[in-house]
Amino acid sequence: MTNMYISIILIIAAPLIGGLLYGFERIVKARMQRRIGPPLLQPFYDFFKLADKRKMVVHSAHAFLGIMHFISLWFALAVLLLGGDLILVIFLHLLSSALLILSAYSTRSVFSHLGANRSAISILAYEPVLIIIAVSIFMLTGSFEAGAAFSSNQPLLYKMPLAFVALLLVLPIKLKKSPFDVAEAHQEVTGGVELEFSGIFYEAVYTAKWLDYVFCYTLIFLFAGSNLLLGFALSIFTFIYLNALDNSTARVNYKQMLRFSLGVSFSLAFINLLINSLS
Amino acid sequence: MNLSGYRKKSPWILHYNAGSCNGCDIEILACLGPKYDIERFGMINTGNPKQSDILLVTGPVTKRSRERLVEIYAQMPEPKVVIACGACASTGGVFRGMYNCEGGVDQYIPVDVYVCGCGTRPEQIIDGVVQGLAILEQKTKELEASVKLNNEAIEENHQVNRRHIAASIK
Amino acid sequence: MESYLSGLFFLPLLVSLLLLILPKNLVKPLVIVAAVALSAMSVIAFSNISGAQYITAPDYTNNIVFGLDVLLLCFFGWVAIQRKSLWVGILSVVQLAGLIYLFFNLSHTQSAQLMVDELSGFMFILINVISSIIAIFSLKYIEQEDCSPFRRKYFLSIIFWFIAAMNLVVSADNLEYFFLFFELTTLASYLLISFRKDEVSEKNAVTALWMNQIGGVALLSAIFYIHLNQLGDITFTNLLSNTGQQAILLPLAFISIAALIKGAQMPFSKWLLGAMVAPTPVSALLHSSTMVKIAPFVILRLSPALKDTSLSMVIIGLTAFVFVAAALGALAQDNFKRILAHSTIALLALMIMMAALGTPTTTIAALVLILFHGISKSMLFLNAGILEKVFHMKETSDMDRLSETGPFTAMVMIIGFMSLLLPPFGAFIGKWLSIETLGSFAIESKLLGALTIVAVAFGGAILTLLYFKVIGVLINRSGETDKISFEKTGMIYRATMYMLLGIITFSIFGLPWLLTQYFSPVSEATLQQAATVTSEGWNMLIGSVSLPIVPLAIAFLMLPATLLTAMFIRFKNVDRAKEYMCGEKVNYSFGSFYFSTEVATPWFYSIGIAFFLAMLMVSLL
Repeated sequence: MTNMYISIILIIAAPLIGGLLYGFERIVKARMQRRIGPPLLQPFYDFFKLADKRKMVVHSAHAFLGIMHFISLWFALAVLLLGGDLILVIFLHLLSSALLILSAYSTRSVFSHLGANRSAISILAYEPVLIIIAVSIFMLTGSFEAGAAFSSNQPLLYKMPLAFVALLLVLPIKLKKSPFDVAEAHQEVTGGVELEFSGIFYEAVYTAKWLDYVFCYTLIFLFAGSNLLLGFALSIFTFIYLNALDNSTARVNYKQMLRFSLGVSFSLAFINLLINSLS
Repeated sequence: MNLSGYRKKSPWILHYNAGSCNGCDIEILACLGPKYDIERFGMINTGNPKQSDILLVTGPVTKRSRERLVEIYAQMPEPKVVIACGACASTGGVFRGMYNCEGGVDQYIPVDVYVCGCGTRPEQIIDGVVQGLAILEQKTKELEASVKLNNEAIEENHQVNRRHIAASIK
Repeated sequence: MESYLSGLFFLPLLVSLLLLILPKNLVKPLVIVAAVALSAMSVIAFSNISGAQYITAPDYTNNIVFGLDVLLLCFFGWVAIQRKSLWVGILSVVQLAGLIYLFFNLSHTQSAQLMVDELSGFMFILINVISSIIAIFSLKYIEQEDCSPFRRKYFLSIIFWFIAAMNLVVSADNLEYFFLFFELTTLASYLLISFRKDEVSEKNAVTALWMNQIGGVALLSAIFYIHLNQLGDITFTNLLSNTGQQAILLPLAFISIAALIKGAQMPFSKWLLGAMVAPTPVSALLHSSTMVKIAPFVILRLSPALKDTSLSMVIIGLTAFVFVAAALGALAQDNFKRILAHSTIALLALMIMMAALGTPTTTIAALVLILFHGISKSMLFLNAGILEKVFHMKETSDMDRLSETGPFTAMVMIIGFMSLLLPPFGAFIGKWLSIETLGSFAIESKLLGALTIVAVAFGGAILTLLYFKVIGVLINRSGETDKISFEKTGMIYRATMYMLLGIITFSIFGLPWLLTQYFSPVSEATLQQAATVTSEGWNMLIGSVSLPIVPLAIAFLMLPATLLTAMFIRFKNVDRAKEYMCGEKVNYSFGSFYFSTEVATPWFYSIGIAFFLAMLMVSLL
């Protein structure tokens, strides 16, 4: 029962945690570049400022789909944190990304369309890997429930290290980090899917990014089972890895991304699946 | 709740080159680097008018760029501040009176802060932005119009259609 | 039951005859009345079925069946001579020779020729309800077609006897009868595809003919094998009662090959793709409720015998491969109908895979997929017809203004695409059930299971991408106006759309009820094994898979509610600004991304052929 309460608190506080994480990440990233970086609460300052702007939309459908992207992502996160079915969680996450992509498609904006096409390709790059990881988890725990993975005594990491590596390789795509940030690519397509949002409507998309952080780190926690210490260690490792990668690599194009993801990450996840099914 | 205090804590910048020689642009980029690091003030160079608060214009307004300048200005949601960066953006500078230039940015859009220098020093840019922030805090959310090339916004069905407020040159 | 079956057979047959004779003004009421009657009859027939019921036809029908078979094959022969098609000729002669041999050597003392069980009833509903709606739609569509008044009536007439033939395909037990109706559907598809009488139509119709005739030859081979090895009656019942014997594997393989050809699995996908040249209701008919659905139906019928055999492994491998390959093919298309056709092939592969797995859960998944695919594909194809006749659009890249010029059509198409594979619709449940069951399957059968999961995950992702790509085109609009007003397309078009929308809405909200009352009994009767659908706390148990109800229900409502609200919602007190294009004021036209599969397609076909050969090989060994 206490687990349940913890989950609910986590769900409610998810945007807060994600915002702090994002703020901290900006500092770490700046320090890696020998800069000072913004204050820790900077994301929240942005949040309040955006709420204060004059409301502007391209058309209502576009803005509405952006808001629904946030809500559906929060819902997907809630299902994951409550230990729900992993396949459902992946589908819900796909749904929320799809809503953002659709919102971009709904405008007649060039950069939005470019970004949406790229985001759609990046879904193709990471979704199969996630499903394979979910199936691997099913083979070890006998259940698709995330709860079973959270409560397993032996951390899944020891049994499926390759899947963890595969996850690490697709996380930059999901979080739109360099070298796989073609979907966002501020210098190329000025943010892609999120370009046409402004003011309070952009806030939904901006906050959804924070939720995505929490979502991804929860996926990392899946590998630690009930061993919280290991979970935090893995998260910290992932955090440093992601930022170091983001700072040290240049953007690849979407073809290279797809090739890498399906060639390397997908194969790793698949080998892991085979090993799990054979043993 | 009064949120206007947060405006100065997260000013997002849109940088537009209206025909500059690139001198001021390099200085603006220098602001982003480790030495001046304007991100510590929460500033981001967004490159997207819809999410920006400050329009940083460099260079004199050339005849090719004037419509685009007004269009981009029209796409920024209020409250917004325009900073003319460098001598050319403020007055036309060395390009003043040339056949292809129109002089300062203020001929087309209302400018709040003029930053002098050819090219401007990063310290001056930061100083100008800080002054701009003080103005930003005072601004209301009323629709702002450009000086030239302005159409009236149309109100329809409880919405303001500002798609065509940046007029074209006939 | 006999009366229902004869009703379902003779009523459409009578209607098709009357349509040819009656004057023009009586056509419309006749079709509508017949459509309503057929739909009602199929539902009543389903509700009255309990267990398999065998129906013995009178003795003289054997001769009629033989006579019809000979006539049919002679017609095919004539087509071969007229179209100078060697393939059709050879296949017709082979079939004719085989048939005559069988007629004089086969004893006709078997017990029953027809058998109606829950699975047939399930197919009755699909065939009659959906095809009726398509028939009503065709009334208007064919009026706008450029052809003589008689050919218009002739078109409607074919549709009705096609329905009659389909109704008996799904209730034939005797393989000879099954062969006749199988060939009749081939004939119907030939006539419908060549309806426009231009060169491409004729060519594609002949392709469809010879490909489907290979299926006929395969069926005859199955009969021959059973006859020569004296394995008993040439009925499905007999085959199923011999489950587990190595000897029946070869006839099973032959029948499966016939089914897979009808189901347009690679390399035989060509005939279905070629069928696009026909008037659009034909595509709707072939893709949704009739023709291709023979494939999953037959595999479902055989699934108790197929389960866990090496043959089923090959079928699963083939379908897993086709699922991915066809999905990739769909992503390479711009023509709207071709996109739909490729996704039909992909989803058929998924259905057949589910059927071949043969556990209660997968059987339910297959049934759910069959039904929902039927509904949404017919809806999408009918819309393709409307697009063609009313808006004069054929390519998806032309449709980027559709939500402004035709918001209703755009909305219906969005619903149709959502219902194909996404939550909240049944097809999503199908996909989900398949992944969750494949998890267990992978534990049992290692490599194949793992590969199948990979295929489903990957193919599913590609299809989702495809649907969102097309939905993206459909919701694209400029912000010039925020108002929305529905276009006028015509009474019949609108009415058929409302009917299909009604059915979809009913199936979503009634899904829990449908699962327990509709799909579960059918799967139970098919497998002779209980397929329980129960609820336990907050979970719904379907066979061995448990689905969480609450998140599922919320997810169910979220996507359609979001997209529909997005069409109608209008925010107040906001500014509408222009799209950002670096300050330029240019009107762009929008394209999309495509995958190129030209290089890969021959490989796909070769792999498909290899799988088909493997089906025969593993059954021989």
